[in-house]
Amino acid sequence: MTAAPTQSVIALDGPPDPELVRIRDLVYQVAGIFHPDSKLRLLHDRCGRRMKELKSKNLHEYFECLTVRPARQTELVALLNEITIGETCFFRNQPQLDALRQIVIPKIIEAKAKLPLRRLRIWSAGCSTGEEPYTLSMLLLEESQRKLKDWTIEILATDLNERSLAHAKNAVYGSYSTRNLTAYYRQKYFAPAADQLQVQQFVRNSIAFSRLNLSDDSRMIFMKSLDVIFCCNVLIYFDLASKRRVIQHFYNNLLPHGHLFLGHSESLYGVCDDFRLVHLPGATAYLKGERSQVGKQGV
Amino acid sequence: MTSDATKVNLLARIEELNQIPTIPAVLAHCLRYLEQPMEQLDVQKVTDMIAQDKSLAAQCLQMANSPLFGRWQKVDTLRGAVVGLGFQRVSDIAMSCGVLNMTPKDGSGLDPVVFWEHSLGCALVCRHFARKISYPDPGKAYLAGLLHDLGIIVNLWMLPKEFRAAFELGREKGIPLHEAEQSVLGFTHCESGRLLANRWELSADLREVVALHHSPQESRENAGLVALVELSDLLCRMSGLNYGYTENREVNLLEQGGFAVLSQQCRDLENFDWARLTFELDSYMDEVHALVRAIYRN
Repeated sequence: MTAAPTQSVIALDGPPDPELVRIRDLVYQVAGIFHPDSKLRLLHDRCGRRMKELKSKNLHEYFECLTVRPARQTELVALLNEITIGETCFFRNQPQLDALRQIVIPKIIEAKAKLPLRRLRIWSAGCSTGEEPYTLSMLLLEESQRKLKDWTIEILATDLNERSLAHAKNAVYGSYSTRNLTAYYRQKYFAPAADQLQVQQFVRNSIAFSRLNLSDDSRMIFMKSLDVIFCCNVLIYFDLASKRRVIQHFYNNLLPHGHLFLGHSESLYGVCDDFRLVHLPGATAYLKGERSQVGKQGV
Repeated sequence: MTSDATKVNLLARIEELNQIPTIPAVLAHCLRYLEQPMEQLDVQKVTDMIAQDKSLAAQCLQMANSPLFGRWQKVDTLRGAVVGLGFQRVSDIAMSCGVLNMTPKDGSGLDPVVFWEHSLGCALVCRHFARKISYPDPGKAYLAGLLHDLGIIVNLWMLPKEFRAAFELGREKGIPLHEAEQSVLGFTHCESGRLLANRWELSADLREVVALHHSPQESRENAGLVALVELSDLLCRMSGLNYGYTENREVNLLEQGGFAVLSQQCRDLENFDWARLTFELDSYMDEVHALVRAIYRN
């Protein structure tokens, strides 16, 4: 009897290379971003680009570049850049956005039901070229006809990089950034700009862009009264001590019901015990818990 | 809400249980044989037993070629699968095929593929989770995950119309299926599963898994196993290994009854990396979908 062909979707030709698994674990330990087996081929390709640049002969030698060579820190940043390259686009993480809209926003509305001021404040921390805050603005505009009727929406969008911010404020995007846009959003919220698309002004009105270094404690303490923070693929570049400081600020900046969203497969494990990991359909988030009760929450 | 009389009536219908297929005789024989000490097992005998049922044999071979069961080189024969994978894996595979074949192919209007995917996915997650927290019997955890929703198969066979109404309510409101069943039927798949588990004379701990996986704190026999299944089941339902719809809610695993139970037994749980376990499920998800759909198509 012969086996009927079953195409494996785990994109590997054999068991995972132990050296690649070591690199995966190193990247997770240092940066908090995890590659499941189904994404190991992707990690292999990213390592391959760096190995070509460094003329490393194999993964074992490249692992040494990341761990024992003098320029290991620089190399780790170079690899993280490769890993996150091309990540930015509109509607990047649909399950996360669905969870915001269907679960988190109703919880915020409930938590603020008795307050006189109906205000929703969201911070896109490390907004890069602006796709994330504009996506949030479009979603909240949709909700402003429904659950968020009569609410004031404020979206704070910050980044360290001036050029990225200039791009964000210009709000003109090419086909790569707009690849996930449905016809509905494309028509309703964008206008043609030569062969590109520009976000319409009414989407931009609720967003305040500004330059901010997340390590700048004196500025971080002023980001107050937030309902939700998005910080995707930004903390991966911070060392543990800096990461802990930023997360501490995030904790203080959020209101008691506040949620923190990280990038896809990004984790706070070993960084902070105050936030509670929560599962949403197809996504995870970190909920601001009460410090005294939380203890070890596995985050 | 269903009246008590309706509930009694529905449960009485289930107790007849005569429409539900039993585990194929070949499989039951084979599984009993595989319970013997390893040194007494004979590869050819196992191969011959599975080969008696052509459909089961073809499915086993298909599963044996999936990386989900640790196989990376193509295996063409049943004997090759038994030799390459070992008796435990082949037992897991044979049992999986047997259980998956029990879902009705038509009639209920529900897609049986999603129940296959959830059961197989939960079995794999249970085994993986068990290994990660050094739970003593990952093989039992696999079986427990595979069988935990036996009650859904019972409901699909015995109460297709009523169960469909419960399923539709769950999907429409985005609530857990057992809550929807409680609302529509007056009981859940835990109760109907308990009847079948007793009839099959499953071991006491597996009977508890089937009956108590949504209330592990009530377990007396093997609370750790029941709790492990509760948490793995929930992880699957919040990911792409759900019943074909997403539950519209936020879940903190540490607030589940199963966490308190399991953390008393497994010290590794204190600092457990739940985020990593969740990300690791991604690999299972894609593979389970592909495998189940490939088998189901044949």
